[in-house]
Amino acid sequence: MGANASQLEKEIGSEQFPSNEHYFGLVNFGNTCYCNSVLQALYFCRPFREKVLQYKHQVKSLKKETLLTCLADLFYSVATQKKKVGTLAPKKFITRLRKENELFDNYMQQDAHEFLNYLLNTVADLLTAEKKGSQKTADTNCNLKPDPTWVHEIFQGTLTNETRCLNCETVSSKDEDFLDLSVDVEQNTSITHCLRGFSNTETLCSEHKYYCEVCCSKQEAQKRMRVKKLPQILALHLKRFKYMEHLNRYIKVSYRVVFPLELRLFNTSDDAFNPERLYDLVAVVVHCGSGPNRGHYISIVKSHGFWLLFDDDIVDKIDASQIEEFYGVPSDMHKTSSESGYILFYQSRDEMK
Amino acid sequence: MAAQSEGGGKDDIKTHFVTREGSYKLMTHSEYSKPSRVAFNGQTNTPVKVSFVDVNDGTASPDRLCFNVGRELYVYVYKGVHKAVDLTKPIDKRIYKGTLPTCHDFNQHYFSPESVLLLVGFTAGQVQLIDPIKKEISKLYNEERLIDKTKVTCIKWIPSSLNQFLVSHSSGQMYLYNEELPCGQTPPNYQPFKQGDGFSVYTCKTKSTRNPMYRWVIGQGAINEFAFSPCSKYLAVVSQDGHLRVFQYSTMDLLGTMKSFFGGLLCVNWSPDGKYIVTGGEDDLVTVWSFHEKRVVCRGHGHRSWVNMVAFDPYTSIVCDETVSDVLGPDGEVLSGRTAPGVLTDGSNHISKPDLTGCSQDYTANNLPQQQPNGRHVSTSNHYSPSTLETSTTLNCISYRFGSVGQDTELCLWDLTEDILKQPYGKSRTSSVGLAGINSSSSQSLPRSNSLPSSQKSNSVASVVANDVSSNAYADGHAHPIQNAVMNASSKFATLSVSDRKDEKKEHKRNFSLAARNSEKSSVVKSNNVRPVDSAMKLYGTQACPRLDQVPILEPLVCKKVSHERLTSISFRNECIVTACQEGIILTWARPEKPRDGAE
Repeated sequence: MGANASQLEKEIGSEQFPSNEHYFGLVNFGNTCYCNSVLQALYFCRPFREKVLQYKHQVKSLKKETLLTCLADLFYSVATQKKKVGTLAPKKFITRLRKENELFDNYMQQDAHEFLNYLLNTVADLLTAEKKGSQKTADTNCNLKPDPTWVHEIFQGTLTNETRCLNCETVSSKDEDFLDLSVDVEQNTSITHCLRGFSNTETLCSEHKYYCEVCCSKQEAQKRMRVKKLPQILALHLKRFKYMEHLNRYIKVSYRVVFPLELRLFNTSDDAFNPERLYDLVAVVVHCGSGPNRGHYISIVKSHGFWLLFDDDIVDKIDASQIEEFYGVPSDMHKTSSESGYILFYQSRDEMK
Repeated sequence: MAAQSEGGGKDDIKTHFVTREGSYKLMTHSEYSKPSRVAFNGQTNTPVKVSFVDVNDGTASPDRLCFNVGRELYVYVYKGVHKAVDLTKPIDKRIYKGTLPTCHDFNQHYFSPESVLLLVGFTAGQVQLIDPIKKEISKLYNEERLIDKTKVTCIKWIPSSLNQFLVSHSSGQMYLYNEELPCGQTPPNYQPFKQGDGFSVYTCKTKSTRNPMYRWVIGQGAINEFAFSPCSKYLAVVSQDGHLRVFQYSTMDLLGTMKSFFGGLLCVNWSPDGKYIVTGGEDDLVTVWSFHEKRVVCRGHGHRSWVNMVAFDPYTSIVCDETVSDVLGPDGEVLSGRTAPGVLTDGSNHISKPDLTGCSQDYTANNLPQQQPNGRHVSTSNHYSPSTLETSTTLNCISYRFGSVGQDTELCLWDLTEDILKQPYGKSRTSSVGLAGINSSSSQSLPRSNSLPSSQKSNSVASVVANDVSSNAYADGHAHPIQNAVMNASSKFATLSVSDRKDEKKEHKRNFSLAARNSEKSSVVKSNNVRPVDSAMKLYGTQACPRLDQVPILEPLVCKKVSHERLTSISFRNECIVTACQEGIILTWARPEKPRDGAE
């Protein structure tokens, strides 16, 4: 491990090594790579890291232990290491996670996307609850939607769901918020294409008919979902685990889905606030192996212009050209097993100040 | 394998497709590949490229074909559409160790039936010159990798010179070599020669005695491809930083810039008359840029993944006499001596062979006024039945055909017609065009849903589209004449004072180039480059990188899945279209028999 760490330092070079940056691998506590990979990716989503560290400074040790305090302690511990590279054991965080959610209270491989969802929602809930607690007296109107927390400011976007009744042609639209988008994958496509597919028009008919309030009856309708507000960090989940009824289990689809280092969205609504946002890829959680409950997770992140691969306690510098190894498998041969991008984190460039 | 029925197999692989000029058919007997096929394991990632040369040996098969696959390189007699391939008899076959061939180019001036010159570039940066027929010559350049250690991405003979060639690398650098000069035993010493917005050129201090003669440093990250204009005066370069840059080759002046919608640009090609450039890239789009107007003319959406190669079809592009003068008038261009419409053979032969003598004079002269590309290179053709023409085409006599292939395994053909070329910039498209573009990936898209009389807020798409251009908060800031915007940006960069330098360096560090490893060594050079953040953000909404609603979106004439594997190459020949895929299979698509088939 020590050899690995110093080698990384050597490879980056002391002059090139960014000041105030630390690259620390995380020890695996028995199939906790789903957790390690997501934590590393989030650590290198700079706006998120900064807010977590701020939180650590705000709340002093008196606080009751929560998943958020454990996360803040972990990030703080990485950020304040004397050494630039090394290994840390996220023991407190894992213990807390297992205590709080029985889903994660075992030694099985878990779904990294499920964990990301759980973590972001839990942190958001904790922040909302804290805000409420401190503002109890001032805030009398409890029915209002809670103020957005910094988790929402970073990850939350808005989808608009447009439905057109095929009988009266009325279009109704409904907005819903998201913290990440889950997209279907197809063989030999790009993430751009998968996002277009996400916003394809769908016809609601037969048993899925739509209740039209103008017609006051169930009608055939067409619907599509497009992005109305683009988040600061766009998290894209590739639906690589498909339930196969005849096998009675999930299998992995290792399709080759390319993802560019720079991205704009095509599937924005016409009244979108900020459709022109230009995103840069900052982190990718990669699934290696053949199924959701086996295999391994690693993550690749961009830091100060170069790319790093975090594989639990091992950290390597990689060349940007090696990212193509994580697109997936182009032909049907090694179909079920691959090292393929699973969650992509794109950060809006206007926020990269 | 149980899962095999799923996914890739569900779309049939097409063996023919129909355009307005007729039906293109796959010639199964004209399929080139390795002599013995082994199961493809998807592991080789160097794209399979194809090069041709016509050795003019007086036989029915004068063409020679070269392709690379994995660590191997093959040269065959290309027998075209009529005769079957004999894969057991390649003219030359080479297997490399430790370094893989990535690209190659035949010298189009020095050839005979007994001797051709072929340049090959490699993944570790080396360049080889071979004669695959005579097998006598074999020279190596950058053998010790002292000039550049990174992958060769594109290699071309200089069309206006007999012994010089240009080699681009994934380091973002491009080198001019003279075939006859040695590469030296020490790393070259460079001195600045020319500098401009986003690029700089260096000469080797001892350039008279060793290679490279010039080193170009362009943009951030890899140079992915470059192409000389048909008149060989201009050089178009596309890079991983998403920029197309067009230079006057002899003076090394930057004449124009375009930025992708997002992501790297992977390929570039000139129209046969040198007026337009088409690019393809990681935004899944093909983008047409007008060289004379210096603006994006349109974008094409049809591919479902990145576009690996684009090429104009000189044999199907049409320019009619009657309307030509109208169109070219504003540019002050006079075309003379062109062939009349309908003469296919003469016109097309001119295209593949640029008028070398005419251009080489200009090549040596410095500071030439920007010259018009030679109009004679436009092919004229009417080898399809007029009855199948759409009405718009008969009215518009200008029509360029180009093709593109992508990682989606699909081949797209596109028609670029006068109504698109003449559409003024920034005018909102009709909503039907725009929505067709947005919806075109869905099979049951609902164009009707977008023009609803609706009492609901502003959810009627039609009204929103109409408003979009004027009401978009970003419109006013960016929608002004592009030329100025670009110019301002460039002059600002050029005059960066010393006090600005610190900031610049800082910013540079944050956006360190893609090929980080390599650029470390040339940090002095790189600090002069345009900062990608600035240029990508600054160009957006201008004619160099319009918003989606500012230019028309083209739909492909044909979009067909023709392979199981990613397509890597397309070339248009007189009788056929030739495509290649990552697996190393070269397909020949016979053009429609003229003109009877057209009516289908």
